[in-house]
Amino acid sequence: MKAQHGIRKKARLALWCAVCFCLAVPVVFPVMYAFLGSFRTAGEFSRLPPALFPDSFLNFDSYVQVFTRVPMARYFLNSLGTTALVCAVKICLSILAAYAFAFFEFRLKDLLFVVILGTMMLPADTLIITNYRTVSRMGLTNTWLGVAIVSFAGASQMFMLRQAFVQAPRALRDAAFMDGCGDMRFLWRILVPVCRPVVITLLMQAFVAQWNAYLWPLMVTDSDAMRTVQVGITMLTGAEDANYQVVLAGACAAMVPPVVLFITVRNRLTASMTRGAVSD
Amino acid sequence: MLKKIMSLALAAFIALTQLPAYAGAEVEIVFWHSMTEMAGESLEGLVDEFNRTVGAEKGIHVTAVYQGAYTEAVTKMNGMLSSGRPDSLPDVMQLDATGKVVYSGAEAAYTVDDLLGERPETDLSDYLPSALKNWNLNGVQLGIPFATSTTVTYYNKSVLDSFGVPAPVTLQDIGGIRAAVGDGYTVYAAVPNTPTLNNWLGQLGSDLVNCRNGSEGTADSLACIENGALETFLTVWKDLYATGALDNADASTDAFAAGQLLVMTSSSSKVAGLLGRIDGRFELGVCAYPRVNAEAANGATVSGSCLVMFDHGDERRQAAWELVSFLCGAESQVSFARATGYIPSCFSALESGAWQDFIAEYPQYEAAALQLRDTPENMLSATVGPSADFYYAIMNDVSDMLLDDLTPEETADMMAEDLGGMLEIYVKNNR
Amino acid sequence: MFAGDAGMQTVTAKKDNGKTSMARAGRLIKPYLFILPILVFAAGFVYYPFFKTFLYSFSTVNVMGEITSFTGLDNYRYLFSRREFGTAVSNTLRLTAMNVPLTMFFTLLLGRLLKEKRFLGGLFETMIAATMAVSMGSAALTFRVMLNPTVGWINSALGLGVRWYEDRNTALYGILLLTVWMGIGFNFLLFLAAFRNVDRDVTDQARLDGAGPVRVFLSVELPLVSPTLLYAVCTNTILALMTSGPIMILTRGGPSWSTTTLIYLMYTTGYGSGNYAMAACVAAVTFLLTLAFTLAGLWADGKRGDAR
Repeated sequence: MKAQHGIRKKARLALWCAVCFCLAVPVVFPVMYAFLGSFRTAGEFSRLPPALFPDSFLNFDSYVQVFTRVPMARYFLNSLGTTALVCAVKICLSILAAYAFAFFEFRLKDLLFVVILGTMMLPADTLIITNYRTVSRMGLTNTWLGVAIVSFAGASQMFMLRQAFVQAPRALRDAAFMDGCGDMRFLWRILVPVCRPVVITLLMQAFVAQWNAYLWPLMVTDSDAMRTVQVGITMLTGAEDANYQVVLAGACAAMVPPVVLFITVRNRLTASMTRGAVSD
Repeated sequence: MLKKIMSLALAAFIALTQLPAYAGAEVEIVFWHSMTEMAGESLEGLVDEFNRTVGAEKGIHVTAVYQGAYTEAVTKMNGMLSSGRPDSLPDVMQLDATGKVVYSGAEAAYTVDDLLGERPETDLSDYLPSALKNWNLNGVQLGIPFATSTTVTYYNKSVLDSFGVPAPVTLQDIGGIRAAVGDGYTVYAAVPNTPTLNNWLGQLGSDLVNCRNGSEGTADSLACIENGALETFLTVWKDLYATGALDNADASTDAFAAGQLLVMTSSSSKVAGLLGRIDGRFELGVCAYPRVNAEAANGATVSGSCLVMFDHGDERRQAAWELVSFLCGAESQVSFARATGYIPSCFSALESGAWQDFIAEYPQYEAAALQLRDTPENMLSATVGPSADFYYAIMNDVSDMLLDDLTPEETADMMAEDLGGMLEIYVKNNR
Repeated sequence: MFAGDAGMQTVTAKKDNGKTSMARAGRLIKPYLFILPILVFAAGFVYYPFFKTFLYSFSTVNVMGEITSFTGLDNYRYLFSRREFGTAVSNTLRLTAMNVPLTMFFTLLLGRLLKEKRFLGGLFETMIAATMAVSMGSAALTFRVMLNPTVGWINSALGLGVRWYEDRNTALYGILLLTVWMGIGFNFLLFLAAFRNVDRDVTDQARLDGAGPVRVFLSVELPLVSPTLLYAVCTNTILALMTSGPIMILTRGGPSWSTTTLIYLMYTTGYGSGNYAMAACVAAVTFLLTLAFTLAGLWADGKRGDAR
């Protein structure tokens, strides 16, 4: 009886693995395809029949190009700096605003919420020239802050955090205030840790979005020393007939920081609510 | 501990990534360009060479900075002009057709006409007239041609040879290839757009739009309706489609390099890239742009980009012109053409031994230069205000003719209305 | 609008007898202080520049971006008269109507499947989440190579004859495929976090009551993750309505306008054609459309909450 139960359990696990495998592989396939492509030569891309694997995994030419043709290390540093700046400010501002929308009643609540959400609905390109004027008047062209400042208002993050805060157990706040906690203390010491998985996911979203930004960083910096990774990658390729292998190598290299970040924070994504609450 | 290691690593990283600051030159100038890939590498090499030779001699140092694609660089130029920061503009900038209007309206612009006024002894006779004329707007010479290209025909010489088919000269010839090679290949893929349609109309002796194709004023209507040129072309195009030789889609460089597509018409600047992509699997043939029919003239118009200058005072103005003369001069032009497929845009370059030796070895690079020579003087590239709209409307209207089986006459009417409407609005907005 | 909030207010509304009017004023101002920082940046770097563009839409604007005269609604009339406008609206709506349900379905499924930590679960999680790191440009380029009818691996391996981005009947689906894929990583992570937050006791109880796994999912787990779902539906709708990046790289609105979306139209008819007024009109129309959808979503959620 017990053995049979064990077999059934194993069979179910195997089935689960098979289903997950069948779903996860197509999802990750384009990434693998890009990775495999980065080892090919220009000629291999046009060979028939199309092959999945490159002739040689030792063909690092494209990676060499990515890191030697342009000062890519410097670009990585700029990208990291601006991205860290954006993430930190964006998440803090969103947390503050989300707290107000989740816990306070005030007259303009609905209107202001929609106003902030509205920032997502305006195509960034309509704003570029005016923002360029503003930022240059502030004397921030060619600085990390100039690259970052236009992205500080994170409507998407604010919205999601509000949703998360609303779901937090109500008893938490009552208890905290009984203990003499103020709003700020409760927010940063209790609420944010409780919602850690969401906060970290949003941090990653903000990270990836800024890491992959192209047009604004290009506009607001004039000198080579201030350029970011995505601008560097476009320098390696033509607009229409792209040097596929080099772009793919650049894309794979650019993916490393976000993926490393994800793997580092992955375990923190899964902290359950109670554990989060107790640990503080 | 971890913090210490991290901060050490970061410090090392920052130290490693500092760019060397240049000091010592008397005049510092900035050059914005939009070249990527091999062209970018070649251009930056030329600037380095300038700094080592002419620059070192005359005390000029040039910093070349990539500013994104042409349109992005123009947006930036626009931003700097409208925010009252002309100081941040470069001394020399690479500009394509999309930037002509904004540049010519800029107060800080230092056009070639300004230069001629200041230094009447400047000699422009070495630059190819057709290329030079491309950068003339309303009678003002804006810049000097740097990256000059034209549309040529690429074909798979190995396959055509094996079927005994010669290189196509007219669109009818392309139609004939289908019968010769059978169904195993796509013969020709193209959807006409502004420059390619303009080429075919030009061969028939017509402009695409009025005001001499927009070179003598802002065009406000099509110039190819009443003379029947558009309808003639559309008829030929529809016949070609009926032969089964024409695939109604943009040519895919991938399919061509894979040997699946036999003929494509594309910019001559792609030669070097294509050779790399083909990787010796077949022999690449390059010949002149196909003629609409046997009666049509030869040729195709010039496109590409030029170098323009901005005024930042006497010294820098002179330095800027030194750089422009160097980059557009014979030696640089030959070396840039060899790396890319662009055409050397001055006579001294085309006649130089270095270029002659090179095309003897790689005949593929010669076709574009020959075509430029054979193109009638009065064939001008089309300058239209609503450029993107116009471009895609031509593509979609011609494509719809084939897919929805419209007559050439109906299509011409539709295009006159669609395209004419866009031109009118533009004129209204910019009066 | 926000159902279920009311209960939270009891804490702040606690008895405050004996407090001065200063404190009361402080309490009135407090929410605004929390929102002020984000508002400053939203106003300075989004609304202020947008207001300037918005003025363009009622004016004649020359190619240098200078307003030359006031024209009222002329620009809008011209936009609505363009054949491409109707096509763009319909393409945009179709893309959104397909994108949002598909993205929600796949990411909910993946999130639920990987909720329990099992053998290999971490690997699958990482695989799916890794897609989030790919930039739009790289993703579009990868899809272009992968789905190329001649040299792409997909068509040859699966024996497909589909011409993807080159055929006016399939190009929009090709764009859809890419945009759905781009949304998977992030939405999956959100749902994963949400499902893991669902109290085990609640689902166990439902199962003890005799509910099957599907029923538990639909009537217990899904309602419990509904705040996340609301967020995901709203933001994905907004993003889908504003699709333009992949189109610029892959199809440029063609073949035959089949992938011309509103924001793409903004580029061709607007910026690409030196017509800033037209770009402003399209942006304004898209903004209103998107706002209407979002408000409808929030309102429907509020209704649902009231009924509960």
